[in-house]
Amino acid sequence: MMDLNTVKERAGPREFSPADDLPREYREAATRMIEFHANSEIMGAYLERPFIRQSPSIDRKLAFSAKVQDEIGHGQLLYRAAESLGVKTREEMLDDLANGDGKFLNCFHYPLKSWVEVPMISFFVDGAAMRRQATLRRTSWEPYAHAMDKVCFEEGFHVKHGEDILKELMTGSRKEQQMTQDAFEEWWPRIIQFFGPTDDKSTHHDFAAAVGLKQQSNDDLRNAFLDQYIPKARKYGLEIPDEPRIRERDDGTYAVEEDDLDWDEFFTIAKNEYEPGLGQINGRKQAQEAVDWVRETIEADAPTAGGHEPQAAD
Amino acid sequence: MATPDFSDPEELSARERQALECLIKRLADDEFVLAERYTEWQVRAPTLESDLALANNAQDELGHARLWYDVLGDLGYTERELVYEREPAEFRHSTLVELPFEEGDWADAVLRSYLYDVAEELRLEALEDSSSPTIANRVAKIQQEEGYHREHAQNWLERLAEGESGSGEGHERLQAVLDRLFPHALTIFESCAPPRGANDANDASGDEPRAAGSDVEADIVDFGLRTATLEELGEEWLAIVVPYLESLGLDVPESGQTGDGEFEFEVTQEMLPPERGRDGTHTDAWVDLYDDFTHTYRELGRSEPTKIMDTPE
Amino acid sequence: MIWEVFRQAKTGEYHTHCGNVHAPDREMAKQFAAIQHGRRKPTNSLWVVPRHEIGEIDAEDVSFGGTTDKSYRWATAYNTTGSDAREVVESEDEQATAEKQQGDD
Repeated sequence: MMDLNTVKERAGPREFSPADDLPREYREAATRMIEFHANSEIMGAYLERPFIRQSPSIDRKLAFSAKVQDEIGHGQLLYRAAESLGVKTREEMLDDLANGDGKFLNCFHYPLKSWVEVPMISFFVDGAAMRRQATLRRTSWEPYAHAMDKVCFEEGFHVKHGEDILKELMTGSRKEQQMTQDAFEEWWPRIIQFFGPTDDKSTHHDFAAAVGLKQQSNDDLRNAFLDQYIPKARKYGLEIPDEPRIRERDDGTYAVEEDDLDWDEFFTIAKNEYEPGLGQINGRKQAQEAVDWVRETIEADAPTAGGHEPQAAD
Repeated sequence: MATPDFSDPEELSARERQALECLIKRLADDEFVLAERYTEWQVRAPTLESDLALANNAQDELGHARLWYDVLGDLGYTERELVYEREPAEFRHSTLVELPFEEGDWADAVLRSYLYDVAEELRLEALEDSSSPTIANRVAKIQQEEGYHREHAQNWLERLAEGESGSGEGHERLQAVLDRLFPHALTIFESCAPPRGANDANDASGDEPRAAGSDVEADIVDFGLRTATLEELGEEWLAIVVPYLESLGLDVPESGQTGDGEFEFEVTQEMLPPERGRDGTHTDAWVDLYDDFTHTYRELGRSEPTKIMDTPE
Repeated sequence: MIWEVFRQAKTGEYHTHCGNVHAPDREMAKQFAAIQHGRRKPTNSLWVVPRHEIGEIDAEDVSFGGTTDKSYRWATAYNTTGSDAREVVESEDEQATAEKQQGDD
C-alpha cells in the first residue's frame, strides 16, 4: 500500500486511480468530500423540483425539468466516483442521506418558497458551485476529475438559465423587482457561506489540500466568486446588503467581515440539525422508502454480471 | 365530400376551425398534463438512472404539447390563452393523465405510460396523412421520440410483473393499478365537447359542460384531419393492450373482447368513470394540479408566459 | 473468446477503445493486450472486457438527444447581460461545439 508521504509527494491533478492501493486516510477523506458533493446535487434537485411545476411557462418548465434532471445525473456520476474508492456503496450513501447522517451544502437546507428565490439557487449558488467545480477538474482522484469534466460541461446551462430568470424578474414589474430584492437580501449571507468558513477554521482543509483532493482554498474561491458575481448582481439592479460588510481591497479583491455572518446557524446546519432543513431530509427519505419495493423487485431477479470480482473502472 | 384545404388557416370555415381546434386541444392537453404528472417522479424515482429516463419522457411529452399548442397558434391562439389563462374546465385531456400518483406507486407510472403510449402511437399513425400539412409535418418527429417511451414502459412492466418469483409485490401492484386506470384509459377514445358557448351564441352562462359533440368527431374524420375514427382507434388499442397485459398474467377488466377473438370496441356508460375529461368534466385532482402549475404566473401577476425557444417551424 | 481493449495513454486520461484480442480467459487477455495494444502507443493502463458482455444501443434504436427542439437545455439559448465567469464561458463553448456536432449528424 502507498504510504501517506508518497501520496503527498505524488498528489498532482488526476494522479490516483482505482488501480492504486491508497491508504485509508486518503480514501476516507476523498469519500467524505465526493459524497458531500453528490448529496448536495440530490438535495439541490429536491429543493428545486416543485418549481418545475410552478414555472411560469412551458419553455421554463422544460428548462427546469432538464436542469433538475442534470442534477440527478451529476449525483449519478459523483456517487460512482465516490464508490470507486471502495469505502461506501451508493446505496449506503443514499441511505445515510435519508437517515440524516449524510452531509450536504448549507444552502440546500433552507426551504425554497417562491419563484423569486429560484435564481438565488440557480444563478448565485450554481455560479458558486461552478467556480469550485472548475478547480476540481484538477483533483487528484481521477474518477472525481472525470466526473467534473462532465458536470462542468453541463453546468453552464444551469447558470445561464438561472441568470435568465433573474434578468426577467429584474426587468419585470416593480412588484417582481421588489420581491426579488427581498429574496436576495435573505439569501445573500447564505450564498457567501457556501464557501464555508475561512480556511483556518475549516477542519478538513489541510489534509484535503495536502493530498491534492482540493485545489483551491475556501478564501480564494469566495474571492473569485465575489469578484465575478457582485458586478453581475449590480448589473441587474440588485442592491448588495450592508451586512455582511464586504471590503474591496486595493487590488480589487474582496474581504468579507466574517463576524457579520451567522456561524451558529451554519454549524447547526452542518450537523443536519437545522429544523426547516429536516423537513427536506425527511421528505426525501419518505420518497426513497416509498420505492424500496421497486429496487427489491428488480434486484432480486438481477443476474450477477460476469462472476468476477468487480474491477476498477471510471 | 371534398377534403378541405387546411394549409391556409385564414380560409377555414367555422366548422373546419372547430374540428381542427377540437382535435389539437386533446392532443396537446393530453401531452401537457401527462408531462406534469411525470415530473412528479423527478428526484423520486426508484433509482438515479430511472429518474433520468422518466425526466426525459416528461420533457419529450412537454415538447410535443408545445408543438401541438403551436398549431393552434395558426388560429390566433397564444400560450397564455391555451394554458396559463384557460379555465380548468376548458381543458380536454383524458382523465387518465390527470390522476395523481400515490407516493411510490411506480407501477402506476409505467402502466399509465404504456396505456397512453400505445394509444398515442395509434393516434399519431392516423395523423400521418392528415389534410392539415402542419399536423402531418410534425407527426414524424414526435413518433421518433414515442418509440423510446413505449419500450421503456414495456421493459419496466415485464420486470415488475415477473416479480412473482420474489415477493410478488410488483404483480399485485400492477393489477391494482390496472383496475384503477383502465376505465380512465377508455376516456382517451371519448368524444370531445366543443368549447363553452361554441354551440349556442346565446348561452353565456357556460355552467354546464357542453354535450360531447358527435358532429365534430365526424367532421374531424370527414375533413381528413385524422384518418381513423375514435372507435377504430379504440378497437386497435384493445387488440394490442389486452393480449399484452394478459401475457403478463394480468386480468384486464371489461376488455371488450367478443367470443371469436376479434375485438369489438363498445364502451358502455358503466365502463367509464364519472369524469371523462374530454367533455370538460374532471376529477378534483385536476383543479389542484391546475392551481399549482399556474401558481407563479398568478403570484407574479404575469400576463405573458416566457419564451426561450423559437417558434416551431 | 474475444476481449475488447481500452487504453489510457497517461495517468488521469480516459480509457478509450483501441481494439481487441482473442484469449481464453481474463489473465491471458491482459497479457496479450499489453503486447498487441500497448507496445507502441503510449500506455499507462489497459482494460479488457469480454465482448459478449458489451450491450449496444445505436442511432437506429433510439434518437439520441431527441428529435424535437431541445435548445432549452443548452447555455446558448440564453442571452444574459455583462461578462460571464470564465468557467461559464468555457462550458458554453463546449456546449456550442457539442450542439453543433449533434446538428451535423
